Amino acid sequence: MGPAAVVLEGVTKRYGGFTAVDDLSFQAAAGRILGFLGPNGAGKTSSIRMMLGLIAPTSGRISVLGEPDASKVRARIGFLPEERGLYRRMTPVSAIAFLASLKGMAPAEARRRARSLLEEQGLGAAMDRQIRSLSKGMAQKVQLLSALAHEPDLVILDEPFSGLDPVNQQSLEAIIRKLADRGATVIFSTHVMQHAERLCDHVVLLAGGRKVFDGSVAEARGAAPRTLVLEGPFDPAAVSDLPGLEGLASEAADGGGVRVTAALRAGAPAQDVLKAAFAKGLDIQRFELKEPHLHDAFIVLTQGAPA
Amino acid sequence: MTRIMRIAVRDYLAYVRTIGFWLSIVLMPVGMSVFGFASTMMDRSSPAPAVAVVDFTGGRYAHALRQAFAAAEPQERPAALLVPAAGGPFPDPATATARLKPLVASRGGAPGSLDAAVIIRPSGDGVAIDLWTRNAADPSLERAVRLAAGDELRRERLEKAGVNAAQLKAIDALKPQITAYSPKAAGERVSLRDKLPGLAGFAMGILLWMVVFTGAGMLLNSVIEEKSSRILEVMLTSASVPEIMTGKILGVAAVTATVLAVWLTLAATVLSLQFPDVAADLASILFTGGMIGYLLLFFVGGYLMFATLYVTVGAFCETTREAQTLLGPMMILLSLPVAFMSQAITHPDSPLLETLSWVPIFTPFMMAARAASDPPAWEVAGTAALMFATTALELWVAGPAFKSGALSTGRFELKVFFASLVRRQT
Repeated sequence: MGPAAVVLEGVTKRYGGFTAVDDLSFQAAAGRILGFLGPNGAGKTSSIRMMLGLIAPTSGRISVLGEPDASKVRARIGFLPEERGLYRRMTPVSAIAFLASLKGMAPAEARRRARSLLEEQGLGAAMDRQIRSLSKGMAQKVQLLSALAHEPDLVILDEPFSGLDPVNQQSLEAIIRKLADRGATVIFSTHVMQHAERLCDHVVLLAGGRKVFDGSVAEARGAAPRTLVLEGPFDPAAVSDLPGLEGLASEAADGGGVRVTAALRAGAPAQDVLKAAFAKGLDIQRFELKEPHLHDAFIVLTQGAPA
Repeated sequence: MTRIMRIAVRDYLAYVRTIGFWLSIVLMPVGMSVFGFASTMMDRSSPAPAVAVVDFTGGRYAHALRQAFAAAEPQERPAALLVPAAGGPFPDPATATARLKPLVASRGGAPGSLDAAVIIRPSGDGVAIDLWTRNAADPSLERAVRLAAGDELRRERLEKAGVNAAQLKAIDALKPQITAYSPKAAGERVSLRDKLPGLAGFAMGILLWMVVFTGAGMLLNSVIEEKSSRILEVMLTSASVPEIMTGKILGVAAVTATVLAVWLTLAATVLSLQFPDVAADLASILFTGGMIGYLLLFFVGGYLMFATLYVTVGAFCETTREAQTLLGPMMILLSLPVAFMSQAITHPDSPLLETLSWVPIFTPFMMAARAASDPPAWEVAGTAALMFATTALELWVAGPAFKSGALSTGRFELKVFFASLVRRQT
């Protein structure tokens, strides 16, 4: 892991008697993509606002691009909020150029950059139309570009995939990868695990304001059990004796017989189950080992966390 | 500074590109002209009322009324058009009333219809007059009859007392020659020029009131648009709260300054063409002795003080409806100084106005309106300092409140608003 672009140490945020973020610590490595995951109300937006310097933590320490106060490095940060909107009567070019100029770009350069980004993203034909006449997807793309036009070193995207159709989601994934390729640090929050699984080098999972996981996607997957599927004309009760299995569920299989789905205990080899099944003379017609997805890990890790 | 200017320019252009901006530039002078000429236009467009006069005193009063109703100039509309009383002559006032009353009651424009009937009869030493009119709401005819008949009555009495017509004319022409002097007036003799500073100060106060009134709506809407569309959250990651607030205030100030520049140029042109002497005097008063600087000081200070308040309130509103509910009480507060401003023209040294000048929300209006009284330098400096200190205090406490409001998504709550002002923390 390279030097950290963002560091949070023991950060807590309270609103009156309510603790939104509780003793949160993690680091986002420079030039990498970090997924900031958690169910709704987990404290993601509050954490992002603290990283951006929009709200002060109740306690703890935050460092962004080497500065304890993000406002000192505003020009190097790009931000897309969860709830989106732009000046409805402005054109995409003007809106992007205006927000980029607030980040320190010269107005003429900002306009040039806005035009080039819009052309690149297939919005060339719409660049001089008022934003209110654009589709929702197009407007969201314009807003994303307005967060990126000044080529920030740190990009923070709050739920960037929400409201986008599959094509635009794919296009956004490509943009995020491109940012990381350029060397920018990307932190994005989401509760849709597929995006994080495809994009992230590192994920931090929050639940009830607390960190419940901090590591790589592969490590996160390790928190969830692997699943074994066995199918055949056998008695489901006979499967319960097999070693390493727990949480068995059986149902009728499509082609006759039964399908048993079970979690494989951590460290238990799948081949031992297969060997034991053959030893018992079970007629196994399908034996499938399913590796867990991030989604499974998310469910496991957030279960039992305070709401 | 660059960010402030960029925010100000964006807001300025956003307003200048709206139809409403151009309508406000054009419609205000048109509206003022219509307002100014409305009375004359009404008079010219409506025909003179048809009035029948029946005089049982021998015709003297009918003659006096005819003269009073006639137009002073051939091109002017007469006050009333005397028409013969249909069915006359009448044997007595009761018969005249019985015959003419239905004609007054009939629809206007019908054959023989009357707008009014005046029946004059002797009464004791004088006369009694019955005026029947269709338009009871218009007092002008009654006033004209009262004046003409009163003059005639007086004339009759004086003639009976031995005063002949020539003497009567000479007496009527008598008028005292009054000359007003003041130690403050140029050459000690009071002229219109000496009243101009008071009028200019009053006009500046009214102008400030209009600017704050119109600017308030613009500022509130601008902040609400950015807050409800979450642009404000993005802007807060690009600029500081004072930069955003100042940029927005300056943007709207530039919009109102543009409108005012057009209006004032137009007004100055009309004034210099129609009343060149007054225009020259006004220019001389404003541009010598620091009067323009004095007025601008309180104009700018007053605008900043109120604008800061409106921007902060806007950040706490999610919709224009919420803002409207807050605008009402704020406008009432803003209207209070206007009630005292007109008094300042005639009584600029009133102790009450001097005291109110030290209350910040009154300061810009009172000090502008008191310009004619030439307040002492220490009072000008003190009230101005207090006004700017209030604005600075507003910015200091309102900055975090603005941020807190900008990031919140709930409804406006007075408790939350004041709590954020008081706590001064996010």
